Amino acid sequence: MSDTKRKQGLNERLDSLGREVVRAAAMDETAAEAVASSPFLYARLRARIKAEGERREEGERWFTLLGVVWRAVPAMALTTIFALALFWSASVSTRSPSTFSLESLLDTRDAGIQHVVFADRQPLSSDEVLATILNEDEREATR
Amino acid sequence: MDEMAERPDPAGDASARAQSTAEPPDAELVARAGAGDEEAFELLFNRHRRRVSLIAGRFFRQPEQIEEVVQESFTKAFFALGDFTNAQESSFAAWLARIAFNTCYDELRRMKRRPESSLSNISDAETAWLQEHMRAEGAGADVEATAVARDLADKLLARLSAEDRLVLVMLDAEEMSVADIAKLTKWSSSKVKVRAHRARARLRRVLSRFL
Repeated sequence: MSDTKRKQGLNERLDSLGREVVRAAAMDETAAEAVASSPFLYARLRARIKAEGERREEGERWFTLLGVVWRAVPAMALTTIFALALFWSASVSTRSPSTFSLESLLDTRDAGIQHVVFADRQPLSSDEVLATILNEDEREATR
Repeated sequence: MDEMAERPDPAGDASARAQSTAEPPDAELVARAGAGDEEAFELLFNRHRRRVSLIAGRFFRQPEQIEEVVQESFTKAFFALGDFTNAQESSFAAWLARIAFNTCYDELRRMKRRPESSLSNISDAETAWLQEHMRAEGAGADVEATAVARDLADKLLARLSAEDRLVLVMLDAEEMSVADIAKLTKWSSSKVKVRAHRARARLRRVLSRFL
């Protein structure tokens, strides 16, 4: 019982000393007064606010850029995937041998037979036909 | 108690003085400063610079540190002027005091990460002072005048965490109530009480090492 009382008394004295210590550390107002009355304090504050404003602006710019990148990257990735898928499907369909093979169309595998396709050849006009016949007639007449 | 009566209101008395004279009230200056009026912000600064310096002086003794806190507090206040509303805060002074205390707290935490003083720096004279004051009850009257006491106090408080120091300074130096501290720190009242109890226990442990 006396031990508890003694401990309690000691704690109270320590608390009281602790309060004195805290007050002693906090009560010196000379430095604070000197700072408060410093003549160029506001000028230094304005400079700091300006610097901080510029820093925040820079940060916001980076943040905006990051936001754009954040949205653009997935969109670009999707576009790339879509383009790759299209390219792949196109290459697969051109490689398919049975349907649109040139060889099967022209049947050039048969030896001795030549097939010529004049796909873009214009049909002969009647003048050209007449001129050809006349030329033939003249050649025979000269013989 | 007399000492308490002489103490300034935690929220600061500068704005009250301003209201009693013909000067524009804080709320009007805040609105004007928020709209880009630099003169209004300068008026606010001149009105509250002393109070913010004194708050910083409760935690720091170097003029550079005090000025750092003053500048940081007003810079934060400048960029947060839009957030200040009289409806939420009791006054601009209280709002600014909260910013100043938070800035001090941040600075204490920053200092704690790279401690410059330790218990090993405590001299024999300082230990003797502690022992003498432990024996003599009510010897606090001449404490403020003693340079030894201030140096010793700084060294001892440097051993506490930033939270402990903040609470003890608010309670013992600023003589604020638990409710005021809770409002300023945005902690609950019970958290303030628990924190104060733990802070006192830690300070007791630090002190008892030298007795």
